[in-house]
Amino acid sequence: MAVVEPFAGSRPMEANRFSPYSDNGGTVVAIAGEDFSVIGSDTRLTVGYAINTREQSKLFRLSDKTVLGSCGCWCDVLTLTRVLTARLQMYNHEHQKVMSTPAVAQLLSTMLYYKRFFPYYVSNILAGLDAEGKGAVYHYDPVGHYERNHYYAGGASSALLQPFLDNQVGLKNMTNATKEPITRERAVAIIKDAFISAAEREIHTGDAVMISIIDKNGIKEERFSLRKD
Amino acid sequence: MSIMEYNGGCVLAMRGKDCVAIASDLRFGVQGMTIATNYEKVFEIGPQLFVGLPGLATDTETVLQRLKLRVNLYELKEGRKMQPAVLTAMIANMLYERRFGPYFVEPIIAGWDTKKQQPFLANMDLIGCITVTDEFALAGTCGEQMYGMSEALWQPDLEPEELFESISQAMMNAFDRDAVSGMGAVVHIIEKDKVTTRRIKTRMD
Amino acid sequence: MFLTRSEYDRGVNTFSPEGRLFQVEYAIEAIKLGSTAIGICTPEGVVLAVEKRITSPLMEPSTIEKIVEVDKHIGCAVSGLIADSRTMVDRARMECQNHWFSYNEKMSVESVAQAVSNLAIQFGDSDEDGGAMSRPFGVAILFAGCDEKGPQLFHMDPSGTFVQFDAKAIGSGSEGAQQSLQEQYHKSMTLKEALTASLTILKQVMEEKLSSTNVEVVTVTPEKFFHMYSKEEVEEVIKDIS
Repeated sequence: MAVVEPFAGSRPMEANRFSPYSDNGGTVVAIAGEDFSVIGSDTRLTVGYAINTREQSKLFRLSDKTVLGSCGCWCDVLTLTRVLTARLQMYNHEHQKVMSTPAVAQLLSTMLYYKRFFPYYVSNILAGLDAEGKGAVYHYDPVGHYERNHYYAGGASSALLQPFLDNQVGLKNMTNATKEPITRERAVAIIKDAFISAAEREIHTGDAVMISIIDKNGIKEERFSLRKD
Repeated sequence: MSIMEYNGGCVLAMRGKDCVAIASDLRFGVQGMTIATNYEKVFEIGPQLFVGLPGLATDTETVLQRLKLRVNLYELKEGRKMQPAVLTAMIANMLYERRFGPYFVEPIIAGWDTKKQQPFLANMDLIGCITVTDEFALAGTCGEQMYGMSEALWQPDLEPEELFESISQAMMNAFDRDAVSGMGAVVHIIEKDKVTTRRIKTRMD
Repeated sequence: MFLTRSEYDRGVNTFSPEGRLFQVEYAIEAIKLGSTAIGICTPEGVVLAVEKRITSPLMEPSTIEKIVEVDKHIGCAVSGLIADSRTMVDRARMECQNHWFSYNEKMSVESVAQAVSNLAIQFGDSDEDGGAMSRPFGVAILFAGCDEKGPQLFHMDPSGTFVQFDAKAIGSGSEGAQQSLQEQYHKSMTLKEALTASLTILKQVMEEKLSSTNVEVVTVTPEKFFHMYSKEEVEEVIKDIS
């Protein structure tokens, strides 16, 4: 801080300084099964208390085996996903093959870390099938830390939904539950339930859910309506 | 860091069919450091009347002491037990007296209304703004997590046993995702003619 | 070819009127002076074998390195100007590590060859201070590796052209060796057969007597990846050849 200001009123309103980030809400949930992955996002896009649109899916289809769910600062989401698709296309041309989900996972991490000191303000969840055809879910922090999980909730309602997934998918605190692989139907049902609950309490989540089911036959999409208030 | 998160802890209450349950975690800490793992935040005020006081521990205790004083005076003066709704109003008044220098607690009142013969459940903010609910009420450091869990697990007209299962699962899974809550829990299930208290073992980290 | 030589063989940036780049052609001639190297690709893995020219008895043979590890799963044998080859191997290694860093996966053999080819054709390019590389590399390379497509062998010449081979010989003895490879190679060759074949052929084309000190042998297999044969292991293979 300068002790002497160059002239009075040189900085009239400190509080109104430009902020490069905004939080546009949105929630993404993904569950990995034995030979499939399910990922869902809500379709509401907000700025503060205003709803910009009720029809914006936050899922990005990267290949027949990989879907990225991305939310947070929407302009960063758009830039990140465009650069990522370009990188995928370049890889495709350079190596004459489609990038595997684990490779996309690593690439996304490096891309995020590349902007370590001016990060993409984005919460990412990557879902797909790995090289062996097993379901895979990866989640990220904004600067590229990443981890492979069986399930994960990210975005505005992550705090509401993560314990729910721990309980229903991870079977945490279920003393007499037998651990058997989750079925496709149950995974989809849990994601719907999760979003219904989140839309009930979290104003930045709602309107509808887009669900992508990824298996060896490709990607199936599904839409499910939520409360719109 | 918010003063409400200094000691950590949470309280969750749910209404069922002719019953109401109220639960708290058992951790008492100072920021990241755990001091005790047997610190209940729900207190018995009358035979079927409980109040949960999550928030700043020193205020939990002060509010509880001042509350007991007022409840005793009321019961001596009136010669009858206090109804949950009355207690709720009293706490709200007490908190609003400190409108500009509040006690950092968010009370939850659960009890049996002996007049109407039905369960009673209410909560309020730290300056006494009351919400009476037929569903569930919660407060504490893992509020968001408890909202997510309760919204998914709670449904109307649960029987006492089902209610116990719902509230326990909601609470446990919620505070397992919160570093400053947990270390076991205690659940009180209040019915027309009895109160059942159960302690739950949970992960201790 | 030399009959048409003219002033066009001075620069690498100018085609002759017949459409030729003489410096590149000369470089291709240069690699025919190098020591012989053989690569054989089998379903079990790839074998690389090279001769080391011990030009003086006072020379320390182990310091001649003509087969190098590029990554765990890729090795390469070089022939020609070894100093040039170091630059190319460095690039190959760097590209492999970069690929691993970006994608957390092994780089494919073909992609490595492509990456090195990109370097090899930069002769004549100039950076902001003028020339970056004045001539083509005088090196022939065999890339041997195992990736998701299985064992593979690639050959690259100084022009940067790279082609996949089942079996390939480079260097001074390459003409004869390639002929022998063509006779002996078959699709269902075992790794052991390939090992004996490579050393038998090497023995035929080498001027000196083949021994465990003047050859280098490497296998790249899906199980053990890059494996450089020790003196004892080489002797074991030599025992089997007449």
